[in-house]
Amino acid sequence: MIKALKREFTALQDDPWQLALISYIPLLCIIALWLLFSAGLPRQLPVAVVDLDNSQVSRALARQLQANPVTKPISYTGLPSAVDAMKQGEVYALLVLPYGLNRDLLTAKTPIIDIRYNSQFLLVGKLLSSQLQLSMADGLKPLGKMKLLAAGVPIERVAVNLSPVSSQTTALFNSNTNYVGFLVPPVLIALLQLVAMMVFANSLNRELRWNTTEQWYALGLWKVIAAKVLFYTPLVLLHGGFMLALIYLYLELPIAGSIAVLLIAQTLMFLAVWLMVLTIFFALKDSARVISFCTAMFAPAFAFMGVTFPVHEMPVLAQWWRVIMPTSHYIETHIAVVSYGQGLLASLSQMASYWGFLLLLFPIAILAKKGFPVTEEPELDTLAKEQ
Amino acid sequence: MSFLQLIFAEIKAVLADKTIVLTVFGGVLFYSILYPLPYLNEVPTKQQVVVIDHDHSSLSRKLIRDANASPKIEVVAQLGSIDEAKRWIETGRAHGLLVIPANFRRDLLLGRGVTLSYGGDASYFLIYSAIVEGLVSAGLDVSKDVQRMGLLDKGENAASVKQSLNVVKLNSIPAFNPSLGYTPYVVPGLFLLILHQTLLIGTGILGASQWKKQGYWRQVSPIKLICGRMAAFMLIYALLSSYYVGYCYYWYDVSLQASLGQVGLLMLPFLLATSAAGIAFSSLFSRRDLPTQVLLLVSMPILFVSGFVWPIALIPDGVIAVSQVVPAVPAIMAMLELNQMGASWQSIMPQWLQLWAMVAVYFGLAYWGVSKRLKPTA
Repeated sequence: MIKALKREFTALQDDPWQLALISYIPLLCIIALWLLFSAGLPRQLPVAVVDLDNSQVSRALARQLQANPVTKPISYTGLPSAVDAMKQGEVYALLVLPYGLNRDLLTAKTPIIDIRYNSQFLLVGKLLSSQLQLSMADGLKPLGKMKLLAAGVPIERVAVNLSPVSSQTTALFNSNTNYVGFLVPPVLIALLQLVAMMVFANSLNRELRWNTTEQWYALGLWKVIAAKVLFYTPLVLLHGGFMLALIYLYLELPIAGSIAVLLIAQTLMFLAVWLMVLTIFFALKDSARVISFCTAMFAPAFAFMGVTFPVHEMPVLAQWWRVIMPTSHYIETHIAVVSYGQGLLASLSQMASYWGFLLLLFPIAILAKKGFPVTEEPELDTLAKEQ
Repeated sequence: MSFLQLIFAEIKAVLADKTIVLTVFGGVLFYSILYPLPYLNEVPTKQQVVVIDHDHSSLSRKLIRDANASPKIEVVAQLGSIDEAKRWIETGRAHGLLVIPANFRRDLLLGRGVTLSYGGDASYFLIYSAIVEGLVSAGLDVSKDVQRMGLLDKGENAASVKQSLNVVKLNSIPAFNPSLGYTPYVVPGLFLLILHQTLLIGTGILGASQWKKQGYWRQVSPIKLICGRMAAFMLIYALLSSYYVGYCYYWYDVSLQASLGQVGLLMLPFLLATSAAGIAFSSLFSRRDLPTQVLLLVSMPILFVSGFVWPIALIPDGVIAVSQVVPAVPAIMAMLELNQMGASWQSIMPQWLQLWAMVAVYFGLAYWGVSKRLKPTA
């Protein structure tokens, strides 16, 4: 066993890409992705305001947008230029204060304030739609108040008459609805799965590239696989740990449960990834094809996690595909631990959902028995020929 | 070797390489089905919500019925306490809760203000926003009902009641993706990125497998080889792009505003710049399994920096500046503006020229890299 482990270690030293992949590359990727989302809370999103009324009321309403931290109003004098800005993605929404707004309010007609939001950018669009409506409703409150007072409603009753039912909305488990807490963990977990896949596939592919498959079988097939697992699991787990430390210790995002439980869950996720990579490796037995196939399998994992789009709304086929992605099993434990503070016991029973991956051991055993046909020109031969 | 023969040899080399065929043709077909698969039902509906009703009055029951009638919400249970509701949410049986306070109806009729509490699991944003929208609108309906009853009681006529309840009408309408669907939101940008990545990988693997061997690629000048390779991949990708930008956009209900000519004119520098970049990139590798790995790692950052998933306004400027060297970044934004948002051709000119500049720069880099790789002394 120690011999097999040593063999992995020497192999790692001869492979600069693999060395990079287990050291700085994942760290750079993790930091780059975090930087992208580091703003966390959408703020100061540009909104076009077209004030056709230019009255005291319309100016007060436009100022209301300045007070809202999410919106950054930009004045346009005419509708066409505002529409162009919207089409070019310079502003994400458009608010039109109609001509005669003030007059209609005074003469008890119901003016219409038009809001158009860019739903091609769904996330921003929906957010702006609700924020603009909130701002307008707030801005119109003083008007309603004046009206009620004029109608003879006593001042202490005005607030209640304006909105008898007030509401208190609580975002559970992500109290300031921060996008870092919501998007970054699943994105990084998807990345972690890709890195894990590549590291393990490279360590298997190396046997093909350096034509060491005979040596592999001589040492014992399962022994070498076990050595690879023992060697690479802790290395990849380090990256998983770095990711968790960055999010929950350095950035201090709230976590209700324990990071140790998450590390156990990650270990199981990696073991499931290893099983899938082994199956694909023994089925294809060609280094570039193994990577391409694994890429095709694992690249869309993020979409299937069910964080951006709810799982129970996915079609059945998508739900099946979801089950074969180790990350979708992991993310359930992750959210339960981070949000609900799920303990080790409950997490362990949740982790039992991985058992299906063990079935892959059968195809692996059968395919591995077949041995390797000499299809690929090993790198050593090419090097020898060149010299 | 004539130019036509070279193009023919290139296409043959691509089709003979099982890995490239798997990545380019297999990948493009496979992803066109797999990526949009989770989002096919478009809009999240019927999110499970539990209610804690401390009032048990006719009005609280009406509120629950109103909430249940909203397409976004389904009331799955009425529970006794908030702790119980929390357990339901933690075990995934519900994603939100509504608390109706005691004396809800009495207070409203007496003209006192009441407060409804809503909660949603913000670990899942789309679910959270659906729940909040559904519950808020149910709350507003009840609020309006109470106001209307109060005003009518005071002897106002129905018309003026309606007026004083709606001082202003807010008309909030989505532009460009009217169904608010998830696939029309994700597909246009994502599919351009898939074309971009598979083209880079295809040229990358082809180059990486050739540099150390003898073959037709050593019999022509680097410039001719690059031109031939770009022409071959342009032919293949004209076909694949027609499938993506043509058929798939139509199939997934993406809104199409530009004319065929405009879309073609935009795709031309995009594909040229990408294939030139791919050839330049391929000269960095001599191992066939590496180009896929490198490009896989940068896929997610490119997707998020291209500006349609996460607003560009929120991304640090330095990151944006770096991303401008990736052909997919200006191409995705230009395509969205032109084809999905109906901008004029003039307004995407900056991105279009940027793509042509990339064609020139990457062609130069490709020439440099390929001539280095093919030097006979090496």
